[in-house]
Amino acid sequence: MSETFTSPQFDQATRDAVSNDDVTVIIGLEVHVQLDTESKLFCGCSTEFGAPPNTQTCAVCTGMPGSLPVINERALQLSIKTGLALNCEIARYTKWDRKNYFYPDLPKGYQISQFDKPICGQGYLDITAPKGEFEPRRVELERAHLEEDAGKSMHDESQRGGNSKIDLNRTGTPLLEIVTKPDMRSPAEARAFLTELKLILTYIGVSDCNMQHGNLRCDGNVNLHIKVGGEKIATPIVEIKNMNSFRAAERALGYEAGRQLKLWKQNGKTIADAPKQTRGWNDADQVTTPQREKEESADYRYFPDPDLIAVTIEESEIESIKKEIGRLPAQWRELLIKEHGLKPYDAGVMVGQGAEVVEYFLVVAQGCGNSKMASNWVGQEVLRFLNESGEAIDAYPVSADQMTELLTKVNAGELDQTRAKEVLQEMIDSKIEVQAAMDKLGIKAVDNSEIESLCRQLIDENPDVIQQIKDGNGKAVGALIGKSRKLNPNANPGLVKDTILKMIGA
Amino acid sequence: MSEPIDRKTVESVARLARIDLPEDQIDDTASKLGDVLTYIGQLEQVELPDDVEPFFGAIESVNAIRPDQLTDSVDREQILSNAPDADGEFYQVPPVL
Repeated sequence: MSETFTSPQFDQATRDAVSNDDVTVIIGLEVHVQLDTESKLFCGCSTEFGAPPNTQTCAVCTGMPGSLPVINERALQLSIKTGLALNCEIARYTKWDRKNYFYPDLPKGYQISQFDKPICGQGYLDITAPKGEFEPRRVELERAHLEEDAGKSMHDESQRGGNSKIDLNRTGTPLLEIVTKPDMRSPAEARAFLTELKLILTYIGVSDCNMQHGNLRCDGNVNLHIKVGGEKIATPIVEIKNMNSFRAAERALGYEAGRQLKLWKQNGKTIADAPKQTRGWNDADQVTTPQREKEESADYRYFPDPDLIAVTIEESEIESIKKEIGRLPAQWRELLIKEHGLKPYDAGVMVGQGAEVVEYFLVVAQGCGNSKMASNWVGQEVLRFLNESGEAIDAYPVSADQMTELLTKVNAGELDQTRAKEVLQEMIDSKIEVQAAMDKLGIKAVDNSEIESLCRQLIDENPDVIQQIKDGNGKAVGALIGKSRKLNPNANPGLVKDTILKMIGA
Repeated sequence: MSEPIDRKTVESVARLARIDLPEDQIDDTASKLGDVLTYIGQLEQVELPDDVEPFFGAIESVNAIRPDQLTDSVDREQILSNAPDADGEFYQVPPVL
């Protein structure tokens, strides 16, 4: 249901009196995702990133007369998979249309896209705030359609009016454009949406979402709804392009919301007074700037592409793709919280690292029989290493099995946490296994008689501390643990503490 | 019946299509495009039974699909030779911005 807005003029004093509480930010996103195919959408040229310019093109993707596009089966499958993961209706009949406009990096003079029969219809994605910055929200998706990418233009930045250079390698690469409804109410929600979307796409393996390579691009539509003088007005909608990271997206949307409020207070113009404007995010200056309006750019004169025929999708195909999806990030979080006792925040961090980290954790948790310990070690030791080294989990020097062996020893009381961390460090530094690292550090089991004689010695040598403990200062025992560590680093501190307390009858 | 096409519409369509339409051909073009629309308007008047499915393309077959397999791209020198201007690596076009 669309709201209707009035377009009354309010005087300056009334506009100035509007506070932030009267303002709602309305955000919708359009996300282009490059699907992970070997070949392009309509021809067999490679989609590999980084090849020398214009070495991955052919008659089809450069739009030579008489060439015929034929659609890539895997691009269809990945689109369906994405749609299913995003709770979309999957079309049973889908077709392609020509979106006509002229630009040098679009050799055909039109982009093959989808107009009225997109492959994925309405869906939704639920977002939550990792630290409770906003209430959980369901963001409805309008559609997701499968289209081809354009080429890349490089403009002369020297201001001397040199030619633009065009590389058509990217032309024809499959993109799925995911369009949300204007359902987000803050830049933080938009960022959370993008983060969760990217996570889903990488979990189901439809795209690597590498933003540096342009494999995930997003544009935002933003305006404000303002309660003023008993009425509700809307500011003109602005589309922001060039938001090249999630952080940039959050900042761009926040900047734009502030700019629109200020502008409305100045000139009072509403959505009825100004057409949609396109602005670009300038990351260096942290501002949005107006982009040159393409003349009558909205008039794309879509019509069915006569070179392509429609695709029908069978129920059985949808069912078989559904089986490939596996657990989605939200389901993993729930599993970690419910079955492994992780706190929601910790589960979010773990799942946010990707499916491989979650799998690593599960092997360790199940192997050592202590999920909480596994969560602490993977969450702290492993993730810190990965964050510092910038590596993925498959580059972590300690395998899940070795980590399991280490934690099993900790769980059984054979190693205390501090010693275990030294062992882990040794395993990483010397690239050796648990037992070898323990041998290298001179760690060996200490039997009970050794513990007892160690404790006797500590009691005899530290009468002051013992008196403090007997006087009820339980924390004083810590001083003895430190001394115990020096006398015999292999003695389990917990055991030493218990033995001392038992011996002195405290 | 559809509205006749006015000069403004013809000029706008010509601009969108990047066609340099001489001033003295605008009226003639408007009239010809109007004829096309009149013909389409006649088709719209055909009464169809209720059970006719919507029709989205001229080809009735569906699902011409190819597997995701690489084929050879065209040699760069050869494909760039089709362009009015190229520098051996890139197509060159007049400054865009």
